[in-house]
Amino acid sequence: MTMRCDVQATEDTEGTERRLITASSVGAVSSLATSMRRLSYHLVASTIAALFVVPLLWATLASLRMPGLPPPQGLSWLADPLTLGNYRRIFDLLPLGSYLLNSIIVACVSVLLTLIIASWAGFAMARLPGPVRGRLVILAVLLRLVPLPILWLARFILFSRLQINDTLWALIAPAWMGTSPFYVLLFYWAFRRVPGDLFDAARLEGASVLQSWALVAMPMVRPTAASVVVLSFMHYWSDFINPLIYLKSERNYTLAVGLRTLQQLDLTNWPLLMAGAVVMMLPMLLLFLLAQRAFWVAGGVGSRQ
Amino acid sequence: MNRRYHFSLFLLLVPYLLGTLVLVVVPLLLTLPLALTEYNGLGRPSWVGLAHLQGLLSDPLFLTASGNTLYYTALLVPLRVLAALALALLLNRRRGLGLYRAAVYVPTVVPGVAYALIWLWLLNPLYGPLNGLLALFGLPAPAWLADPATALPALVLAGLFQLGESFVVLLAGLSAIPNDYYQVAALDGAGRWQRFRYVTLPLISPWLLLVAMRELIASVQNSFTPALLMTGGGPYYATLFLPQLIYNTAFDQLRFGQAAAMTLVHMVSIIIALLVIYRLAGGWGYDDEV
Repeated sequence: MTMRCDVQATEDTEGTERRLITASSVGAVSSLATSMRRLSYHLVASTIAALFVVPLLWATLASLRMPGLPPPQGLSWLADPLTLGNYRRIFDLLPLGSYLLNSIIVACVSVLLTLIIASWAGFAMARLPGPVRGRLVILAVLLRLVPLPILWLARFILFSRLQINDTLWALIAPAWMGTSPFYVLLFYWAFRRVPGDLFDAARLEGASVLQSWALVAMPMVRPTAASVVVLSFMHYWSDFINPLIYLKSERNYTLAVGLRTLQQLDLTNWPLLMAGAVVMMLPMLLLFLLAQRAFWVAGGVGSRQ
Repeated sequence: MNRRYHFSLFLLLVPYLLGTLVLVVVPLLLTLPLALTEYNGLGRPSWVGLAHLQGLLSDPLFLTASGNTLYYTALLVPLRVLAALALALLLNRRRGLGLYRAAVYVPTVVPGVAYALIWLWLLNPLYGPLNGLLALFGLPAPAWLADPATALPALVLAGLFQLGESFVVLLAGLSAIPNDYYQVAALDGAGRWQRFRYVTLPLISPWLLLVAMRELIASVQNSFTPALLMTGGGPYYATLFLPQLIYNTAFDQLRFGQAAAMTLVHMVSIIIALLVIYRLAGGWGYDDEV
């Protein structure tokens, strides 16, 4: 919606500009040059934008092809009889319902934990005195630089000692550290922008730390909280490596690892595989379209690091 | 009162610090002693000293995987940073570009497994649309993932489009440059290239440094899913990367000590690479020429 408004607004201002230019003594030649330049700019930009979207569109269209038909040679966009049969078929082939349920459980529990733990940490960091705060920020920045593959092995051994291997808890575990130190930093920066007097006032009114977190701090940083919810939901929904490493029994599988079995079942049935990919991808695309702001907020703040 | 307040603030930090301790600090510390033992995940670890670390030097699989990882990152990281910068420059500032920006970000939100499956099909030599497109222009059709010479570049091509995070960071970095600078530069008669070279580049370089470091770490760890699903490390180990070798050694062959030794080498080489990037970036930061 906002995007459309933006476009509208620009067209308006551009229209005004053009009228002004036309009215001016520069005349029609320069106006023509400007619109030619603008046209070629949009041509280039839309071609590049299409490069990023068309492959996904292709895959979606391929998932609507009847299985069993000979695969198309060359480029063909639309299959002749379009069918949703592949989607029904993957639900028959795989216990997709149970995968979906596990994915949703893991994502929801982890998002909730992440929201609480990351915002607590960010709030405490923002309110603690300078030297401590500085050290905690450096810690978080350094933690962001730790590549995950170097933790797989030792975490596996640790998790088997804690007896959470092959349970959904192994997938939720990263939420106990706020999932990513980046989310802690996002909250920290957001809380730093809130005037400290507000918290001091709450303190004088006798509010406990927990109360001023819940009643004063959190309502002030809603966009950041929304960002963290959206980004961490995507993180857990897409997570493939953790379930691959820590899960054994199929009843615990999430969608990401479950879809891998689809590939192992029938590698050449492309419409079926693409249907699986779409089932996994579509919720994320919808989330992105609905909550696009979350990504720009995170990027804008993240660039301060 | 103040002390009590600070103490209760500290309590809010406890879950995060405890989680970090258990999930990051302890595993990091555990890796070193583990690398010096023979351990299959069940019985008791037995001490072997530096044998695993020495063995890696003559382990052909480890050397191949290290070389591939280096090649992959040396190809993907600069390409992704430059592409993200080019896109950010193209789509910066003007209003009404929201749709283009969103389109550029879209591949980044696609989950790794779905993305790998989609590219597996796009790159299929016989039925894939990419070769269909090439045939349309009369270009030769490579075997992509089936050919050891093109498999790794094909993975790089697929990975290139997931540059949304760097794109957004650089976009934010560009929009933080005050417009006045450009106006002053234009008054001084600076052309398009000069404005880029002497205004944009020096001011964006801290962001470029951040993005390059993040891309390095991300590209190594994100090589795992596409390689496992699209090539399985093949053909002939042409796309075997360190994360997958560590995974195979630990969880398929249950040679935890050996895998820990690889992890250790991997960790040290990433630290070195980060320092190299940092040094390189130091050469064209704020201080120079501007």
